Amino acid sequence: MATILDLHSHSEASEDSRAPLEAYLNWIKLRHHERPVDGIVLTEHRQFNAGADYRALEDKFGLMVLKASEVETDYGHVLVFGVTGEMTRRFDFANVRLSAQELIDEVARMGGLAVPCHPGRPNVGLCEHYGAKPPLNNVVAVEVLNGGSRKGEDARSMELVRRYGYRAVGGSDSHLVSLIALCATRFEAEVRSIDGLVRELKEGKYEPVDFRPKRKPVPAAVPDEVSHNGG
Amino acid sequence: MMKFDAVKIGDTLGPQEIYLSKDQVRTYARTCGMDVPRFTDDAAARAEGLPGMIAPGNMSLGMLSRLVTDWIGSSGARLARLGTTYRQPVQPDHTITLNGFVTHVEPAEKRVDIDVWIENEDAERLVIGTASVEFP
Repeated sequence: MATILDLHSHSEASEDSRAPLEAYLNWIKLRHHERPVDGIVLTEHRQFNAGADYRALEDKFGLMVLKASEVETDYGHVLVFGVTGEMTRRFDFANVRLSAQELIDEVARMGGLAVPCHPGRPNVGLCEHYGAKPPLNNVVAVEVLNGGSRKGEDARSMELVRRYGYRAVGGSDSHLVSLIALCATRFEAEVRSIDGLVRELKEGKYEPVDFRPKRKPVPAAVPDEVSHNGG
Repeated sequence: MMKFDAVKIGDTLGPQEIYLSKDQVRTYARTCGMDVPRFTDDAAARAEGLPGMIAPGNMSLGMLSRLVTDWIGSSGARLARLGTTYRQPVQPDHTITLNGFVTHVEPAEKRVDIDVWIENEDAERLVIGTASVEFP
């Protein structure tokens, strides 16, 4: 049975998010016909809440809530799946200059997976860093669909995947309730836990999926000078 | 007139399309005592590393505030809180769209929480935020 998960989301535990987890889950239930995800992964910025238990909310809404983290490295932002106590002792997740290569290698050795996110984004994405530094080793997958992407960012991420042969995932990167699950990842296999998610990301079959609504085009604006001259 | 009991999660605010002219931005900046080059002059703004003139953050906040107060209308409710995050500059000479969704209804407090944002012609979200509206 296939599983669809939003692999990248931020609840109000992240300093720049305004979204309570319960409101996320309620929104998904209401919009399930548009965004048919089975659950979300909370990837709070620079932190991991090992003690958080979301089972009551999972039961209430019939949706899965998994925990991961988004950390900051010398090659941009990276999602860390399968976080363990050993990892949080080895790395200070609050450090915004973590070594990406060390993170990728050590997280894999400890049983997890580090996935660079929004690689096409300026400053915080892999593409820009690859223009100035050697490519990273042992990258398995990168996020090619990001719900917060600006024009051209997802295309740059896709080009990176084609060039380096990485696997591709999607996530909403939601910081507002109504933006949850706009992008996600469809796994061929059933995923029911963070361990299962890491296993599938490493070895399974999956693809990014895009649930962003198709927008009607907004007419191009007429510059001041033209409108003044032309009336 | 809108009543609290009729408000549902998923109700929409907008979309409101606004063509933002340079003259409007200059006028706003000068009226608010923010007469600095990045809000009034393309060349000076580019010299600061910006793509051109940008709208003051307060102007974006004001437009989103109006989106919510237009929705409130004559219901007697009040905009109790509006918080925003600025992701990209709002540039004049573009058509921006204001959007909102009701995301939470709290009957005990007669409060409604709303997501709001401003996007450009490419559907890039430039400013995002949340608002709380309290009903009588």
